[in-house]
Amino acid sequence: MTATKVAQDSSGSLRRRSNFSVVSILENYALVLLLALVFVFFTVNPQSSSTFPTLANLNVILGSQAVVSLVALAALFPIVAGYFDFSLGAIAATAQVASAGLMASAHAPLWVAVLVPIIGGGLIGVVNGALVSRLQMPPFVTTLGVAILLAGLIQWFTNGQSIVAGINPAIMQFGSSRLLGLPTVVFVVLAVAVAAWYFFTHTPYGRSLYAIGSNASSAKLVGIRVDRNVWTSFIISGVIAGGAGVMQLSRQGSATAGDGNSLLFAALAAVFLGATAIKPGFFNVVGTIVGAIFVSISVSGLTLSGASGWASPVFNGLALLVAVGLSTYLGRRKRRS
Amino acid sequence: MGQVKSPVSRAAGGTPVALDIRGVSKHFGGTKALSEVSMRVRKGKVHALLGGNGSGKSTLIKVLAGVFPADSGTFSIATREYDSGQYSSSDAQASGLRFVHQDLGLFDDMSIEENFALDAGYPTGIGSKIRWKQLYNRVRDLLIAYEIDADPKTKIRSLRPSDRTMVAIARALQDQDADDLILVLDEPTSTLANHESSLLLEKVRRRADLGQTVILVSHRLQEVLSVAHDFTVFRDGEVAGTLIDAAPSEDELIELMAGRTIGALKPSGGVSHQASEEILRIHDLYSGPLKGINLAVNRGEIVGIAGLVGSGRSSLIKSIFGVLRPRQGSILFRGQPFEPSGVHQAMTAGVGLVPEDRGREAGFADLSVRDNLALGQLRENWVRGFMPRSRESSIARALIERFKVRVSGPEALFSSMSGGNQQKVILARWLQRSPTLLLLDEPTQGVDVMSRADIYAAIRVSVENGSAVIVASSDMSELHALCDRVVVVRNGQITDELDSSRIDIDLLNRLVLKDAS
Repeated sequence: MTATKVAQDSSGSLRRRSNFSVVSILENYALVLLLALVFVFFTVNPQSSSTFPTLANLNVILGSQAVVSLVALAALFPIVAGYFDFSLGAIAATAQVASAGLMASAHAPLWVAVLVPIIGGGLIGVVNGALVSRLQMPPFVTTLGVAILLAGLIQWFTNGQSIVAGINPAIMQFGSSRLLGLPTVVFVVLAVAVAAWYFFTHTPYGRSLYAIGSNASSAKLVGIRVDRNVWTSFIISGVIAGGAGVMQLSRQGSATAGDGNSLLFAALAAVFLGATAIKPGFFNVVGTIVGAIFVSISVSGLTLSGASGWASPVFNGLALLVAVGLSTYLGRRKRRS
Repeated sequence: MGQVKSPVSRAAGGTPVALDIRGVSKHFGGTKALSEVSMRVRKGKVHALLGGNGSGKSTLIKVLAGVFPADSGTFSIATREYDSGQYSSSDAQASGLRFVHQDLGLFDDMSIEENFALDAGYPTGIGSKIRWKQLYNRVRDLLIAYEIDADPKTKIRSLRPSDRTMVAIARALQDQDADDLILVLDEPTSTLANHESSLLLEKVRRRADLGQTVILVSHRLQEVLSVAHDFTVFRDGEVAGTLIDAAPSEDELIELMAGRTIGALKPSGGVSHQASEEILRIHDLYSGPLKGINLAVNRGEIVGIAGLVGSGRSSLIKSIFGVLRPRQGSILFRGQPFEPSGVHQAMTAGVGLVPEDRGREAGFADLSVRDNLALGQLRENWVRGFMPRSRESSIARALIERFKVRVSGPEALFSSMSGGNQQKVILARWLQRSPTLLLLDEPTQGVDVMSRADIYAAIRVSVENGSAVIVASSDMSELHALCDRVVVVRNGQITDELDSSRIDIDLLNRLVLKDAS
């Protein structure tokens, strides 16, 4: 009796495992596969085959996805907990303008011009987190308000002009420098990504954010300090977004009076695409990075194939819609099974 | 008293048959959810569907509702014949089946008449103008017929719980002559307190005496026994027994449902724990609705708190767990003053809580069983800076086995399990911490008898290992089965205290209800 029961159980689990290997591996790595297909397509496509698969272009892609990836990683922290930070693009833009302004107008030393904007991003995160977790204001509208406010302040500070002169050349050298043949900024993103991955999978704090995102009331009753952790997630998010702004300055060598929204939308596309991969149905670090590279490669390929400037926002918008649709579908199917 | 304990049912006494199900089978993938199920519902009678979680009764209800088709079998409803393959939800409606589920689907902030109109349509006059007067009169007549003592303009929210269910029933039956309809009540009382559910069931029984056909699904056997004429018991997708016009005992039904006798549901014989270490002493506590509570709990003791919803029983538990901050009074935990600033401090001190509402306050529906267990131990699972999944999985597997959770493995989603198994996982989450004091708020609400027996057994093991347990419940048979001592909470005060020799279900019900509305 016991023997047959054990035999049944083991055959049952074997069947489950083989199921697991075919369907779910395909599901987990669908985005990676799509990424490879897009890459191959632009490599053989006659309109882009001469420019797309070159080392120089790959470096441009990697360099430009670095800032998007960083904002995407920033967005991941509140999103995992079920909160939405719409101000991250504006925080990055503010940090970029602040860093350029500190160097150009105040002639601040390099370390001040780098650290102050990053800390400033964290402080905006403190405000966001306080409004959302302490005062229980709805996160979407609240952070949208903060984003509009910051964009207005940028306009006031720059008079709508780009800051081009007076940028410390050292920061620009860093932005264009190479390490092991790759843009140095890529390694910064890699370091932040590894830290974020460790955070989300191997610390009580990161695990608690997933719990809050799943059910905040239950999280509270297993001893998770929900308000405090949500607040902290906004602060971490602001710090990373501030860093992304400084990195953008180092890449571009100037600061435009923008609102950072295009950066935010590309980053959100990456985050939501990421939720369809690696751990389908969950926002996760590796998926987010894959999503960011996917968005960058596609936009680069489209541009090099001769598509106009509108191609990039159209692609980001479509990618965001498809990604949200897919992750909603995956989440729903997960809940039903 | 023709008792027919075979899978084939026979209508006794020539009562006309309202619903006749013959040989219905249903597979989900490789699992057989229903196999060759037959049952016969007599017109104007209350027919109870019983069985544990996963026994097939919910599948049968869904087949009847047309949610999914059965693989084979036929049924006739009133005079119509259906082949299970072609039956749809519109057929269910047309043939006169009306379903009222546990989630009543009422709009709490709208009035009774609006709830009726949203279902059946507003009566309109010239230019689509709503004829409020006509609606009011029609709904008023219905409320009188269904013994609901309320004005049609009353908001659903301000109705007493049993009346809300009655409104849902009256709404489901409003469009036709109710005697031609079959009312299916799916777990109507699982969220109601004892006296509310008896009020409801009395009204349901009176409707049946007037000719209403009712199919009743419930876990609460005593209630079922008080109201049903006929019983069909499911076990593992088959009809384990059919009792027509019978008055079986609770034990007979449990034995049919489980296929064996279950001892854990019986009192194990209360023990006095006067001599053992005092774990908790509450002195003159004012918190939420509580007005001066004094209570002491010793090691190895199971203390029950009997009270209605709103009596303060949940507030008492939440004050001990650091969720509510007391206004006045003191709590001593193992002899030390205890003022937790939040749940995390209560947990660190060795207190655990299984909350009342499993779905909203305890479970993480879209996370795995492994996650749901590990989230109770986040700090403890963080060893040398890492939380390896393999260790969590092996801990989860051991807990699944120890608490007899029926689930495919640690990675299965919490929401994929039945209510009873979900509750076992929540209990396991806390018992893995070997808490000094375990607080249980309605620990077996919506849980079938077999799982309930497993849960009681796990609670008894934990007190044998030195925990103290407080159980708050509106189910007096639960307190009778589990507790060494029961205190009765009424209007925020402890009004009675019964030791094990005096715990009696009827007495408890009387004490809880005394001078209540």
